[in-house]
Amino acid sequence: MRSLELPVGFAALSPSEQLAASGAAGSLGGARVDVPVREVLRPESVVDALAVLSQRPDALPIAGGTDLMVQLRDGRKRSTVLVDLDRLGLAGVRDTDQGIAIGAATRMDVIAADPRIRRLHPALAEAAAQVGAWPIQCRATLGGNLANASPAADTAPALIVGGALVAVASTAGARQVPVEEFFLAPGRSALTPGELILSILLPPLQQGPGVRVVERFVKVGPRREQIISVASLAGRALVADSGVLAELRLALGSVAATPVRAHRTEHLLTGRRLDAELRREAVRVLQNDITPIDDVRAPADYRRIACAVLLDRFLQEVASG
Amino acid sequence: MDPSPRTADHGPLGGRHERPDARAKVAGSARYVEDLALPGMLHAALAVSPVPSARLLGLELAAARAVDGVEAVLTAADIPGKNQVGVVFPDQPLVVEERVRMVGDRLALVAARTPEAAWQAARLVQPLLEALPGVHDPVAALNSGAPPVHEGGNLIRTFKVVRGDIARESTHADVVVEAEYKIGGQEHAYLEPQACLAIPEGRQRITIIASCQCPFYIQQAVARVLGIPLAAVRVEQAPTGGGFGGKEDYPSEPAACAAVLAFATGRPVRLVLPRELDMQASTKRHAVVVRHRWGAGRDGRLRFAEVDTVMDAGAYIGLSTVVAERANVSSIGPYHVPAVRVATHVAYTNNLFGGAFRGFGHPQVTWAAEATMDKLARRLGIDPLEVRRRNVLDDRRRRFCTGQLLHRPVLARECLDRAAALAGWDEFHTQPRTTAGPDRDGMGIGLALYGCNLHHGGQRLDRSSAVVILQADGSVVVRVGLTEMGQGNLAAAQTIAAQALGVDPAVVQVWQPDTTTVGDSGPTVASRGAHMSGLAILDAVKRLRTKLDPVAAELLGCGAGEVELADGFAFVRGKPERKVSVARVAAEMAARRIEAIATGWHRTRARRFDAETGTGAPYEFYAIACHIARVKVDEELGLIRVEEVSAAHDVGQVIHRDALEGQIQGGIVQGIGWATTEELKLDRGRLTNASFTDYIIPTAADAPKVTIAVVESEGATGPFGAKGVGEPSLIPAPAAVRNAVCDALGVEIDRLPLSPPTVVAALGARHPFAWLLSEKQVDEHERLATVDRKR
Amino acid sequence: MAERVTITLTLNGERRIFEVLPGRRLLDLLRDDAGLIGTKEGCGAGECGACTVLLDGAPVTSCLVLAASADGHEVVTVEGLQSAGHLHPFQEALVKHGGVQCGFCTPGIAVTGAAIVARGEADPSEQARLLSGNLCRCTGYTKVMEALQDAFPEGSHAKS
Repeated sequence: MRSLELPVGFAALSPSEQLAASGAAGSLGGARVDVPVREVLRPESVVDALAVLSQRPDALPIAGGTDLMVQLRDGRKRSTVLVDLDRLGLAGVRDTDQGIAIGAATRMDVIAADPRIRRLHPALAEAAAQVGAWPIQCRATLGGNLANASPAADTAPALIVGGALVAVASTAGARQVPVEEFFLAPGRSALTPGELILSILLPPLQQGPGVRVVERFVKVGPRREQIISVASLAGRALVADSGVLAELRLALGSVAATPVRAHRTEHLLTGRRLDAELRREAVRVLQNDITPIDDVRAPADYRRIACAVLLDRFLQEVASG
Repeated sequence: MDPSPRTADHGPLGGRHERPDARAKVAGSARYVEDLALPGMLHAALAVSPVPSARLLGLELAAARAVDGVEAVLTAADIPGKNQVGVVFPDQPLVVEERVRMVGDRLALVAARTPEAAWQAARLVQPLLEALPGVHDPVAALNSGAPPVHEGGNLIRTFKVVRGDIARESTHADVVVEAEYKIGGQEHAYLEPQACLAIPEGRQRITIIASCQCPFYIQQAVARVLGIPLAAVRVEQAPTGGGFGGKEDYPSEPAACAAVLAFATGRPVRLVLPRELDMQASTKRHAVVVRHRWGAGRDGRLRFAEVDTVMDAGAYIGLSTVVAERANVSSIGPYHVPAVRVATHVAYTNNLFGGAFRGFGHPQVTWAAEATMDKLARRLGIDPLEVRRRNVLDDRRRRFCTGQLLHRPVLARECLDRAAALAGWDEFHTQPRTTAGPDRDGMGIGLALYGCNLHHGGQRLDRSSAVVILQADGSVVVRVGLTEMGQGNLAAAQTIAAQALGVDPAVVQVWQPDTTTVGDSGPTVASRGAHMSGLAILDAVKRLRTKLDPVAAELLGCGAGEVELADGFAFVRGKPERKVSVARVAAEMAARRIEAIATGWHRTRARRFDAETGTGAPYEFYAIACHIARVKVDEELGLIRVEEVSAAHDVGQVIHRDALEGQIQGGIVQGIGWATTEELKLDRGRLTNASFTDYIIPTAADAPKVTIAVVESEGATGPFGAKGVGEPSLIPAPAAVRNAVCDALGVEIDRLPLSPPTVVAALGARHPFAWLLSEKQVDEHERLATVDRKR
Repeated sequence: MAERVTITLTLNGERRIFEVLPGRRLLDLLRDDAGLIGTKEGCGAGECGACTVLLDGAPVTSCLVLAASADGHEVVTVEGLQSAGHLHPFQEALVKHGGVQCGFCTPGIAVTGAAIVARGEADPSEQARLLSGNLCRCTGYTKVMEALQDAFPEGSHAKS
């Protein structure tokens, strides 16, 4: 930024105003028509893709591009080279002996329609069906939703209650990251430079006899469809015949710097029988599991209320059998 | 010959024939501005201010000029004519010279060989800005000591209506309702952003092809900015992807920018605004604060109404005074009120640029008026439908608040009753309401009396020009000055011309407005499109027939006065078997070199209006609209679902039934969006939600069921007796939704939009989870009246 | 200057080869390189649906797809919905029912609607959900949904 010499007697702009003024006159909705990259590589194997990512530190992987294209367009992300993941065979839902493996490049509409996911991990199917709108779902990928690391990522709460593991690889090797540890900060995931998400594993969840499973994903926004959530909740409850809540996994989106697991709330409720008083206690305790902020989409207070409502409704559904 | 013949059975009038532009649009072959390209064409971009209030000390342009592909970077100093684009008052430069007054104010213009280069260069323009204090609250802006946006202070103007004796009527009032309504603005969100193409001929003449509602405004602005005569500026309206008022006057600004660049470079220049810049910088529905003090007797009859409104004009006047004029006289709704005092103040701020938006001030004051009527109803324990029935103007009491006598029939009660019947108002209110679960049902009314065509203050613009050319093969060219933006003006013009000439609409081709083919017809606004183009067309047809009828008479062997036109034929009145095709007559006229082209003209009747007291005839005639909304509200999340809207519209005569229904369905949904989810979230003048991601408009999943009662009547002066419906289709819906939500929840909400946080906050301690926030109670509202629920 | 990439795709049934800059969006390839101006840009951020095309039969917002990513795939634009000079049944229905006003959203709606018909989804509320990524500001959606109901072959649509 070229430094501007101010004539004597004039007050300077504040630093943020200067920043805004200097680089940004015209960035107010400045269009980029072409996305400003110099290369798009289309490797045909994971090995090749990983090699590029390790050699070119500013290379960005792109699959559906539904977040990345917007960010490249308005300058929030910059890169000279994109690595298109389309040919790596990373799409598809497979049964393995460790559970259901969803390729990182699997699209949301495929996930939403997959009969195994609908049966065994309904929260994920419901979340995938609510990402953006239909044309976005036909493009956006599960890996992309994770790598983008938005605290509002719809699939994240569902993956958390599903106990998902994110399989990641680089030229240095491979590792599995529990999805709960995958989000570090808004826009920052646990991926280190050169790493690529390969698949997401949903291990089979314990489900003994005499136990009823209730699993749900809900999101709240200002209208019914095509919204970024102001609060979202995924819950998976195992209810014993006796009515006792044997196990509970609860995760929320858009109400903290990352998607969060509601540990305190789970701890309060596990092993107990749900009634109105306990539900009331639960929504109070839930407030300690979340740290919502005011932002352009909603005030923090509304998010607290919305979470409470979503939890209360989930618990009512669990209790009603 | 009667220029407005009523032909109930014959002809396309009132039908559902195919709209003339539909097929090309559905096939993707209609060419909007961005679909037009010329060899050598350059792309324009704008460098704009990121701050709302500043002095511009200088501009560093070297980096911008150095971008590969850039052909020109221009500033205010490079404007050949006058640097002025204010549509009514000259308070607005095209490019900032010295003073920045809004975020989005233009600092420099760029032309480059690619859009990427142009916008990149615009981004590299470095302004030297000295921040100045700004003002972001229109009420505070009117206090002494508020930073002045322009010299002369922030009060632009005050409009008034003063009639009757408030003090005396107060003594008859058994109940007085006081309220303050905070009503947010609205973004048009047309799907096609602002776009124009400027094609220079040297530095002498220029053609502008623009997405717009008024090619004539553009013509005037471009002529002024370039310093060339009006006749040297040709403006052609391109197929326009939505307007709603947002393309009434605003397009003059991008057009003038493109024109300056075109003259400077000698090349065609195309400018398409990116969506974010369009949302930030283009005109908006005004945000307003409305204060009410209304009194009524125990029987619910209004005795007096006091209204004080402050409108946030933003940085420049634009059309704000015209919007204020309409809001001013519409402030007490369609009701008989013996004493009225209205004051409408227009204030400068450094916020978004207020301008025309479907309804033009009327939706805001109607939202407030209908809210007060419902409060009144609740205070008195009278059914809201009944309280309106008791107060609406009718054929007996038809004096508008300005003293103007409305033409009969005044159909307010009819519209109320028809809408109520469609909505099942009585049934809804006799059924018990469900209390299980979080959903609450409610029903609410919105009623509006809309003055069609331009306000008295704009009379000089209220005229319309048409040209009709009968081709040698019997097909017909029609040119009008009013524009098609989706509302159906093309279909209306085609239908009216076809009806008048007695031919099939398919042989009538209406071509887009062009300032070199018709006279200045003013803007396509104020629901005047079908009315004004229709009457001008009928005038042209009348004149054409002075040439056509004698030729037909010769062919038919009758007198010229006996010729009738219908079903594609000219025939002898009373003897339909003696006929000859219109095409045959046309061929004969061509063979004999008889003039087969006629111009038509219409202007509204001059009327009297005293702006000081607000008395007289502000509008030529009026149309009534009633919407009744049924909603389901999730009381816990504050989410509103509009399930059904029943609409009754006083339209005079239907011209094209699909177009009419489309307007009503579209207006209702656009009104619902404004009422519930659309919010302009400003941070010191910067729009923080300038995208479709966060500026939330209704999707297909939000559309309610819409049922429509069309109330036709005789005697209106429009073409074949038609009134306008473009704005009445929107105006009552937001009020109906608000009233339905308040009915559902049993609380008053005096803030628009009724967003989920607003609804939750309005419930206050009644919200099932309010106790969660007890330490941090959100109280955004100055007034919350909790009303006993009648269940 | 970045090197161009060569892409081959099937566009409206025809095999086409293009050389484009790497950052080129599919939307601009269609409009400027292939001259198919029916697909529109309303927002450039995948939110309005005006740029919707079918990619391997699925509706996508082409403003978010790199042209390079379309290499080896099938793209159908609004122009490709027609066959043998006849409009797609949904396009005909839109005209017949008056579901076209300003027309700017219409190509995107036509494409998504054609995909809904191809999918056989006849339930009106599910149709509305599938169409919710195509914003329209003019029609209020009623006549669009009526046209969609009418676009199904005789006897196969759900009566609402």
